[in-house]
Amino acid sequence: MPRMANNQSPGDKLTRLSECLDNVARHRDKQAFAQLFDHYAPLIRSYSLAREPGADLVADELVQEVMTRVWLKADKYNCKLANLNTWIFTLARNCRIDYLRRNSRYVTEIDPTDIFNDIEDEGPGPFQLAQQNRAEENIRTELKKLPREQAEILTKVYLEGKSHQQASEELQLPLGTVKSRVRLALKKLEVLVAR
Amino acid sequence: MKESRKHPYDELLASYSAGSLPLSQALCISTHLEHCPDCTRKLRRLNRVGSELMQQLQPAPATDALKQRLLDRLDTLTDTPAPAVAEAAPEASIPRALRQFVKKGYQDLSWRSVSANIQTVELCRDSNGARVELLKIKPGGSAVTHTHLGDEYTVVLEGSFSDEDGLYAQGDFVLRGKNEAHRPVATQDRECICLAVTEGPIQFTGLFSRLLNPFIRRSYA
Repeated sequence: MPRMANNQSPGDKLTRLSECLDNVARHRDKQAFAQLFDHYAPLIRSYSLAREPGADLVADELVQEVMTRVWLKADKYNCKLANLNTWIFTLARNCRIDYLRRNSRYVTEIDPTDIFNDIEDEGPGPFQLAQQNRAEENIRTELKKLPREQAEILTKVYLEGKSHQQASEELQLPLGTVKSRVRLALKKLEVLVAR
Repeated sequence: MKESRKHPYDELLASYSAGSLPLSQALCISTHLEHCPDCTRKLRRLNRVGSELMQQLQPAPATDALKQRLLDRLDTLTDTPAPAVAEAAPEASIPRALRQFVKKGYQDLSWRSVSANIQTVELCRDSNGARVELLKIKPGGSAVTHTHLGDEYTVVLEGSFSDEDGLYAQGDFVLRGKNEAHRPVATQDRECICLAVTEGPIQFTGLFSRLLNPFIRRSYA
């Protein structure tokens, strides 16, 4: 299991990083980009290593892919759809899927590009946005309070990229238990709350 | 699983958000999401879960060399150009996730009749062997009662169909587990087109159609 970092004050940092991204988008600011790199590259590497421990080159490659997209797509980022951390997570996830597809022994003819790209709808209205932000802040605080066995499953699924089946084999738990733990965790995080 | 009929159940949506689903399943979910604002909202929160988990990771420092290499390259980077005006733009009703297979419209695909009421066209296979296809059922037509040796994921693309459990309209997502026999019937007003992902051979359960099983299985070999 990947190690977890100590608590940091996330709000201010996120604001600062969002400004950096804005400067990259508007002014092609390389120093701002370097600041984004300093914060996100180690996290992206860690995300990659969670799935493939010891594979440093793969991790470096993922950093390059993700940060390249950050540079190229900074102006497409829509803060109404996701905060910056979440945007980076989805980029890292998409790049990892793409990498795995290109390097898998098992061929798939399915191109993931249009499967995971955000659906660019008109975005939520101000009321919905406030509601959504509240729900999301809740996720952060509740995540820290999850029982260990539920946090462990989420880590397997989200960071290690495991299927429920793989998680059940590794943890020697029935498949039904894995699914119900995911479900319980999501309930606690209020991911499933009324629309 | 009744409560999640018509929508992917929550654990499945979470695996989609995590990127840990086979692409064929992700394809179905993505297609459903285009029609479903509720699941899209849930997905945003699920993505946030992934993002928070990522933020909690112990950072694994990157080398200065990696940083410098990237910084040096920035000026040479160009975004992959949008495909120069596609010769045949897909019709607006085709979900984005399917446009890699459906280049123009559903009617332009090479449909193959499997029975008087049903036509099919295989789009591709996934790396886990799952078969990705479109099914077209004539108005009022029904499929043979069948079960599957693996799960079957269905998303209604056009028209609607009903089975023992209810009525499914455009965008609805239906997951049938192993050995759940069902018999979809298209509604009378128009033909029904579905995206279907099957993870194992289909088993026909009717007395006569059971005779077909050996032939069908071969086509999955």
